Amino acid sequence: MSAPAGPSQKPTKRRSASQWAVAWRRFRRNKAALAGMVIVGFFVFLAVLGPTLAPYPARSFPCLYIGCTSLPPFQSWAHPLGTEPAGIDVYSEILQSTRNDLYVGLGATLISMAIGIAVGALAGFRKGFSGALLLGVTQLFFVLPVLIIILLFARIFVTLVAVGLGLTLILLILGVFGWPGIAFIVRGEVLRIRELEFVQAERAIGASNRRILFRHIVPNILSPLIVYATLLIAGNILTEVVISFLGFGDPNTATWGLLIQEGFAYPNLWWISVFPGLAVVFSVLGFNIMGDGLSDALNPRLRE
Amino acid sequence: MSLPLCNSISPERAFASSRNFSDSKSHRLPYLHIQNSDPGDEELAEPPQQSLLFLIRGFWPMAGLLSYVIRRLLFMIPVFLAVSILTFLIANAAGSPIDIIKLGIRNLSKSQLAALNQFYHINDPITVRYFLWLSDFVHGNLGQSLYGGSVAAKIGPWVATTLELQLVALVMSLGIGIPIGIYSAKHQYSKTDVAVTSASIFGYSTPVFLIGVFMIIIFSIDLHWLPGNGAVSPYPPYWWGSYFADEVAHIIMPATALTLVSIAVYVRLIRANVLEVLRQDYILAARASGLKERTVTFKHALKNAVTPVVTVVGLTIAGSLAGAPATETVFAWPGLGYQFVQAALALDLPVVQGITMVITIVALIFILVTDLTYAFLDPRVRLS
Repeated sequence: MSAPAGPSQKPTKRRSASQWAVAWRRFRRNKAALAGMVIVGFFVFLAVLGPTLAPYPARSFPCLYIGCTSLPPFQSWAHPLGTEPAGIDVYSEILQSTRNDLYVGLGATLISMAIGIAVGALAGFRKGFSGALLLGVTQLFFVLPVLIIILLFARIFVTLVAVGLGLTLILLILGVFGWPGIAFIVRGEVLRIRELEFVQAERAIGASNRRILFRHIVPNILSPLIVYATLLIAGNILTEVVISFLGFGDPNTATWGLLIQEGFAYPNLWWISVFPGLAVVFSVLGFNIMGDGLSDALNPRLRE
Repeated sequence: MSLPLCNSISPERAFASSRNFSDSKSHRLPYLHIQNSDPGDEELAEPPQQSLLFLIRGFWPMAGLLSYVIRRLLFMIPVFLAVSILTFLIANAAGSPIDIIKLGIRNLSKSQLAALNQFYHINDPITVRYFLWLSDFVHGNLGQSLYGGSVAAKIGPWVATTLELQLVALVMSLGIGIPIGIYSAKHQYSKTDVAVTSASIFGYSTPVFLIGVFMIIIFSIDLHWLPGNGAVSPYPPYWWGSYFADEVAHIIMPATALTLVSIAVYVRLIRANVLEVLRQDYILAARASGLKERTVTFKHALKNAVTPVVTVVGLTIAGSLAGAPATETVFAWPGLGYQFVQAALALDLPVVQGITMVITIVALIFILVTDLTYAFLDPRVRLS
């Protein structure tokens, strides 16, 4: 502040910039991070409006009986990105898929956050056996071949056990297997903050663990959690693409991975797999760049 | 080159003064009094024996290592059990093995059903079946594939095929990634550095199998330069003339696809590590003593910058056994991941269970070896 704040002067009404304002200022200066945010915003826009903008319904065959199958891209306005041999319109299908893929990415991340915060907080607060057990379970998840187990889960449950659930089932599976990283962050912070004096004081006047968790610990870990969650969304989208590409997902739901799989069956019709592939790369890229930018902007040690 | 500060006190004098210092009575520590009270035993004075470990006292570092390895091996047992229970439960969530067989073969006769019932112990509760399966597994019997043949006999070659691909990709990505990472760090914020960093974020965000799809479309379908299918041609019109050249031709594309993605990870890591090491005081001291920049980079900075990569390399190998089902499927590379996908699609659950368990065990062993290597390379790490 330019004005020297002496004891004789009236205290200035102007508040110092909040943590979030400072972070936003730093984020705004980072060109790459802004580009990532624009990309993410674009895909969120598509996810919200895509099915409305799409000219044909999901998993429909508008070309089947009127002879425009296997159409190359950029040939007609009706099918700007080409069509499949079965008559599916690629452009429409990509728009229909965006919502599904982001739904899985975001939903699975939210579930992972809920489980991760709960487990991490418990493992941090509880001393003795239950804390050690939770820590052991968390470490167990780190050494598991998670992708293989997710694939196995998806294959058995989507085809045989819970047939009707489709995409939501994949969301649940990804969420249930994605929490250990979050739990570790939360546990570390709980262990650190639990011993700080202001928490001890709060405890001395009778605050419960829950109050300490939500009033003091969660605000402190919000920034690493946001960064981790952004990167986790990207990872979940990638895993979902792998699952549906391998044919382990629901064949009746439009997803990018399913479209890539169908295109890979006809490698000389390159447009069927290349355009959804670019959608995957750019959406994941957007989340990754944004996560990197957020981790720079929210890191208090980098603050000048 | 010597600094004046060092000249003023020679090591001998410093040592002598410290000896005088400790001789003064006021600074004597209590245990010295105890020792001096019995001057005859001064040479034999030793800490009391706490445990039988004193038998191997000459090998203290190895004893620490041994107990560490034993503890890690003991930690593997619950992990192993957890994975086995998990896979067994998932595999049985859909029903008993006979339900799965019935999906394919509708008209089983009564005697066939009875034989299958007996073979799979269907009438026993699921816990008993789990322990029967576990005891078979521990004895090396991974069961029979639903499509014939023993699972244990099949898995060996698959592991070898997968490791072949992964090791080639690893050597390529380290061989290219480390120099690029160092160059990028040495020329931070130069145009090359910016290009490398942006390209590596791209590589970070691209799934390997997608690069595989693009490569097959370009190099196999359009240009006919390379085979995009399998590990070797099944019959004689070989690529590039001979059987060996054919194998090389087949491994180029999958290995390159894997490399392009893992290189991105290594470049980011090496760049960050080199930058951090170059900022440290001992590098400043090395430069101040007049060493050439090349010596500082390659003799002083490099070892400390590369050591953390060992962990990532080990974890990559540990994860690579499982981590590439999609890549192997795209290239029809007959490794563990590809066979897992095929078996899962065919609901051949004994094979799926066997592969999952083998992957877990191999991954655990690789993680342990990685930890030990890291402790060996970085003397600051104490195995305790």
